[in-house]
Amino acid sequence: MDLSQPVEENYANPKTCFFHVFFKASALAFYMLSTLFADSFVIIFVVTVVLAALDFWVVKNVSGRILVGLRWWNEIEEQGESIWRFECLDHESLARINQKDSSLFWWTLYLNAVVWAIFGIFSMVRLEVDYLLVVGVCFSLAIANIIGFTKCRKDARNKIQAFASRTIASSFSSTLQSAFSLV
Amino acid sequence: MSNSHGDTIPLHPSSQSDIDEIENLINASVQSGPATVLPARPPSPPRASIPVSPSPFIQSKIPPPPPQSASSNQKVPSVAAAPPPPPPSVGNSSSIAASGFGPAPNTLTEPVWDTVKRDLSRIVSNLKLVVFPNPYREDPGKALRDWDLWGPFFFIVFLGLTLSWSASVKKSEVFAVAFALLAAGAVILTLNVLLLGGHIIFFQSLSLLGYCLFPLDIGALICMLKDNVIVKMVVVGVTLAWSSWAAYPFMSSAVNPRRKALALYPVFLMYVSVGFLIIAIN
Repeated sequence: MDLSQPVEENYANPKTCFFHVFFKASALAFYMLSTLFADSFVIIFVVTVVLAALDFWVVKNVSGRILVGLRWWNEIEEQGESIWRFECLDHESLARINQKDSSLFWWTLYLNAVVWAIFGIFSMVRLEVDYLLVVGVCFSLAIANIIGFTKCRKDARNKIQAFASRTIASSFSSTLQSAFSLV
Repeated sequence: MSNSHGDTIPLHPSSQSDIDEIENLINASVQSGPATVLPARPPSPPRASIPVSPSPFIQSKIPPPPPQSASSNQKVPSVAAAPPPPPPSVGNSSSIAASGFGPAPNTLTEPVWDTVKRDLSRIVSNLKLVVFPNPYREDPGKALRDWDLWGPFFFIVFLGLTLSWSASVKKSEVFAVAFALLAAGAVILTLNVLLLGGHIIFFQSLSLLGYCLFPLDIGALICMLKDNVIVKMVVVGVTLAWSSWAAYPFMSSAVNPRRKALALYPVFLMYVSVGFLIIAIN
C-alpha cells in the first residue's frame, strides 16, 4: 500500500522528493561554501553548473511527472515550426495527487529561483562578474523550469475546464434531446 | 515508484468522477438507450482497467476511443492527449522521450538509468547527424529536428576546461572567457540570423552551433597534448574548416540566398576566434 494515510498525508514519493530537493540544495550549498572547498573558480563553476543542469533534468523528466503529473517539451514540426507541448494527467489522477508532494514541488521550485536571484544581486553589488556568470546560468535554468511547469499547469486547468464544460454542455443537450423525444 | 502499485486497483464505480455520476443519473433517468449519451461519456472505463499510474499517459497512446473527444481535443492545440504518431525509430521516440517519456507504459516506472541512456543516445545521434559527413543525410535545413542542449553544454564546458588546463596562468579567467564567449556568441549568431529575416528556431540553432563545436574540442584536446606551434596551427586549421563545414548547410538554408554571406561570416568569425584562442594559449 502506498504511504498516504487517510487523515494525515505523508509524502507519496519520498525518493523523488528527495532528489528533487537534493540537486537544488547541493548546487546552492556548493556555491555558498565554495571558498571552503576549492579556490579555483573553474571547479566552482563547473560543479555548480553541472549540479544545476542535473537538477533541471531531474525536475523536468522525473519529479514533474511523478509529483505533479505534468510534462512539457518542445517539438519541431515537419514545416519547421516549433511547438511547445504540454501534457497532464486526467482530472481523476490529478485529484489523487498527494498534496504534500505537490506543494513541496512548487515551493522548492520558486524558492530556488528566488535564492539564485538574491545571489545574483549580491554578485552584482560586489561587481564579481565571474560569479555573476554562474548565478546567471543557474537562474536561467530555474526560470526555464518554472515557466514550463506554470504554463503546463495553466494548460491543464484550461483543459479540465473545457472538458468539464463540454461534457456538461453535451449532457445538457442530450437531456434536451431525450426530453423532446419523450414529448 | 512507491505509489505506482497503489494504482493497480481499478476504479470502483463509486469512485468515478462527479461527471460520470451525473451522466449515470442522466442515463438512469432517461428512457432512451445509452446511445445518445455515449458520445458525451468520457472514456473513463478504459482508463480504469489500465493497471499502473501511467494510465492517463497510456491514454495518449490508445487510438482515440470516442471520436468526439478526439475532435474536441483538436480544438485545444496544445493537447497531447491525441495519440502522437507511433515512433518509427529510436530517434523519433526519443523526441517524445525528450522529457524521459518514450513508449508510455514503462517510462514512469522505468529506472532512471533507462532515461539517461535514451538521452545519451539522442546526443550521439544528433552529433552524428550534424558533424560527421553523412551521404544519407536528409535536407540539412531540417537537421536536428529533436534538438537538445545537453550536447552543446558538454562541448562548451569541455572546450573551456581544455583551454583552461592548457593555460599556465589565469586559468579561471580563460575558462570564464571561453564559456561566456561561446554561449553569448551562439545567442548572438542566432539573433543575427533571425534579424536577417531567416527562418530558424532559436533553440535549434543554439543546439546546432553547440554541436559544431565538437571538431574544435578535438582540436583543443590535441593542442593541449602536443605543444608544437606548427602542429597547433595545422590542427586548428583542419578542425576550424570542419566546424564551418558542419555549420554551413544549416545556416545557409535558413536565410535568403542573397544574405547567405551575412549570416555565415559571423559564424566563421566566431570559430576563427576560438581557433586563435586555442593556438595562443600556452
